[in-house]
Amino acid sequence: MSSGWLIGSAIIAVIAVPFIGGWLRGIDRKLTAHMQGRIGPPIAQPFYDIIKLFGKKPMVAGQAQLAFAFAFLGLTVSAVVLFALRQDLLLVLFVLFFGALCLPLGALSVKSPYSQYGGHRELLQFLSYEPILLLAAVPIALKSGGFTIANIFEYGQPLLPDLWITFIALLIALAIVMRKSPFDISGSEHAHQELVRGVVTEYSGPYLALIELGHWYEMVLLLSILGLFWVVGSLWWLSIVIALVSWFIMLIVDNVNARLTWSWMVKFAWGCGVTLIASNILFIHIGWM
Amino acid sequence: MNGTLVAVAVLFPIVAGLICLLIENHRARAGIVYLTAAVLIINSIFFLRQVSFPIEYSPAPGWDWVILVFSYAILAYFIFAAVRDIIQRGASRHNILTIALTLAAGIPLAIFEFSWAPHEFLERSPVFYICHFSILRGLIVSVICPLICIYAIRYMKVHEEHRMRLGELKVTNQPRFFFYMLVLIGAMNGVAFSDNLLWLAFFWELTTLCGYALVRHDQTPEAITCGFRLLWMCLIGGVCFTLAIILSWYSPLNTISLTTLVANGAVSHPALLLPFALLCLAGFTKAAQVPFHRWGVEAALVAPAPVHAMLYPFMTTGAFLVLYLAPGFPGTQLAIFLAVYGAASALALALMAISQRGGISVLVCSAISNLAFIILCAGIGTPSAMAAGVMLIIFLTISMVLLYLCVGAIEHHIWNSGIEDMEGLARKQPLLTGITIAAMLSLLVAPFGILISKWAAIQAASDIGIWSTLVLVLLMLSIGAVTVFWAKWIGRLLCQSPTPGSARLEPFIAHYHGILLILLGFAVLTSLLVAPMYNTLIAPIIVDAGYDAALAFTTETWFLRAPGGIFAGWPVFIVVAIVLLIPVIALKAKPEASRAAYMCGENVEIGSDEFVAVADERTELKTGGLYIESLLGEQKLDRFVVPAGVILLVILFLLVAI
Repeated sequence: MSSGWLIGSAIIAVIAVPFIGGWLRGIDRKLTAHMQGRIGPPIAQPFYDIIKLFGKKPMVAGQAQLAFAFAFLGLTVSAVVLFALRQDLLLVLFVLFFGALCLPLGALSVKSPYSQYGGHRELLQFLSYEPILLLAAVPIALKSGGFTIANIFEYGQPLLPDLWITFIALLIALAIVMRKSPFDISGSEHAHQELVRGVVTEYSGPYLALIELGHWYEMVLLLSILGLFWVVGSLWWLSIVIALVSWFIMLIVDNVNARLTWSWMVKFAWGCGVTLIASNILFIHIGWM
Repeated sequence: MNGTLVAVAVLFPIVAGLICLLIENHRARAGIVYLTAAVLIINSIFFLRQVSFPIEYSPAPGWDWVILVFSYAILAYFIFAAVRDIIQRGASRHNILTIALTLAAGIPLAIFEFSWAPHEFLERSPVFYICHFSILRGLIVSVICPLICIYAIRYMKVHEEHRMRLGELKVTNQPRFFFYMLVLIGAMNGVAFSDNLLWLAFFWELTTLCGYALVRHDQTPEAITCGFRLLWMCLIGGVCFTLAIILSWYSPLNTISLTTLVANGAVSHPALLLPFALLCLAGFTKAAQVPFHRWGVEAALVAPAPVHAMLYPFMTTGAFLVLYLAPGFPGTQLAIFLAVYGAASALALALMAISQRGGISVLVCSAISNLAFIILCAGIGTPSAMAAGVMLIIFLTISMVLLYLCVGAIEHHIWNSGIEDMEGLARKQPLLTGITIAAMLSLLVAPFGILISKWAAIQAASDIGIWSTLVLVLLMLSIGAVTVFWAKWIGRLLCQSPTPGSARLEPFIAHYHGILLILLGFAVLTSLLVAPMYNTLIAPIIVDAGYDAALAFTTETWFLRAPGGIFAGWPVFIVVAIVLLIPVIALKAKPEASRAAYMCGENVEIGSDEFVAVADERTELKTGGLYIESLLGEQKLDRFVVPAGVILLVILFLLVAI
């Protein structure tokens, strides 16, 4: 693919991703409400929320906090751009992690009990999903012949049949990144718990809007990584189906589970997620997959 | 010319150290340290300008006798020090082991040198072998270590004044301190350039001696114990050296030249596998790898910060040795062992760092964990892994030394190096804290050099077959664990109650902030210019080691390209600079926008750390970091890690012997 195409797709990604992300969040809230027997907000509610937040008077609890909000959004968008330019998957993940790290750093920079709690728990979320995502790049590279996303497109065959074990492990990581129950330990959607709003307690107004926007980019990027498992051939549209199905699974998991403890999360992610990918790598080396 | 360069690199610091030992005047001593730094840096520029490699060089035969005499003198000093300790403080595990291991290293060597193989065989192999690899080792030692010494001029003065105020110290110990610091530089240069195993063993023991003397410098009972712990653990390396010398002399190659050993390799000469394993074990002891990490972790609590900064290059000599040997045994059981052992060691120490409360302790654990990464790269043994290992050494030395010095400077501000005591330092010392946070980020995030090297290591590790599964799992888990302790520490530094207005910069101290900014500049520049640096410094090393450089990395528009991936470093660097620095510099929150932290509506007032508790009483808000001591406490982990390390090493020698 020519570089003009790639740059064009990167620009489109930066513009379109927040619309996709916001819309998915709207449907998420609607479906969750229906599952809980409520009517729920209109689907466009996340957009109303974010516009309203941007219109509020800025209030900050520290200079560092403000900088980290910008860095979180900026780096997450950079990761999306690198993804659209079909760069190295590891590099995309590294930049995404740097962005994600700005969230706990911003929270920890304020001396506030709830925000400190949330920030430290966010680090534990990190400890859980970072190894899964990084390790997942390995079987993908072993199959497609390289770590770049361009390699996956050139490989010519769908990855899912050989890498379905890795895919399951990625779903665990997705649930942790999207902070869905049982992994919503660093800041629950439901603000009446001991955490208050956890990692974003001290953010408000336009800065909270930046973080919300960053989350949309982050979610769509992770869904796109899942979509990479079937991007070639006449059935390329399956990538979108895979991404949407994964997203829907997250919704169901969220609604049928209660929040669990962080130690359970780390053990589950390391024990279950990492083991799944490790067995997938092993099977590739043995030649079973 | 070459002889002069080597002589300056090795002898000049040693002579300068001797002069420091003799003069009492603080200014004159500072002048000598500055002079040594200037000479070494200029000398290493001359080294870089050399074009024809490799160069073999042997000094006049008389020097062989000097080395011979001094190598036994060092061993005699170890025994003297241990006996003196037994007389003063009674027998302990540490001083008894020191005597036993010194004898175990010295007696076979003496029998070998004087009885089995008479002295003339020394002339058979060159003493020094100058190749791209040794140039790089010399460059790191000659540029970074003198900066530590310059930093120590002020640090040690303040450190001693503080101890004199506390009544712990009566007369200054600085002449002896700078003597050992400078001799250590000379000795490490000697290790870098030596090829003859007898000379190498001498310089190796000399670094051990300096490390021992520097760790026990404060002369407290704990410091003396830690010194002896370092000594006997590193003496295991000395015993390994003696055995390796004897074994390689009686091998079919009949040589004591390190380069000849590596060039012939264990693949075609299986008898060499045991000497290789012994030399690797010597490297582990110096690099404080599991189970020898105890000397590093314990020393964290006793020695002054510049000593720790100096101990990092000291540990790196061990990793360098393993990496230099690696092309000698690719694909053997020793190589696979190194990969798995390195990955496991990296994970164990990264987990241990999470529970450490002392700043230096975290740094030591992280340093050992990072050195294990280099050993992992040596074990993988492919061209790209070698390149990753060499890159890691460069980037790590800069960043780790920088961080040790940062913590030292912080220590002199708050008279403590506990992470919890650093809470809110960003407001009191914005510049120092900024440098510290930047240094931590350079170890933690892309696109800094260490992540580039880790990216390279992942690329390399993924194509070594079935063992790569285990190696990669351990490697990724350790990357995850590393994030937790750095981010927590950065969080503690930044943590402060919302207060209107911005912080004022602290006064600039050239010996602290100046040196730190130079090192930070190195960290940023090397990461940004990784591609040209790779072509000029690292690719020749890969070629020297007998690999096809095209199989490692290529550079394209200053991107680093691996066979299976590409690292678009500098564009990401620019983006990171924009999104991080512009909000910090350009966006200033208005004072009226400041709000107190949310505490369920019970704050006292903005800018205060208090909240209203029961019966309207004002109560101080206290926050703290996450240490997970119940799961990852040092003692808890060590109960498992130390035996596991010993068992792994036993397995190694069983594998190699069979």
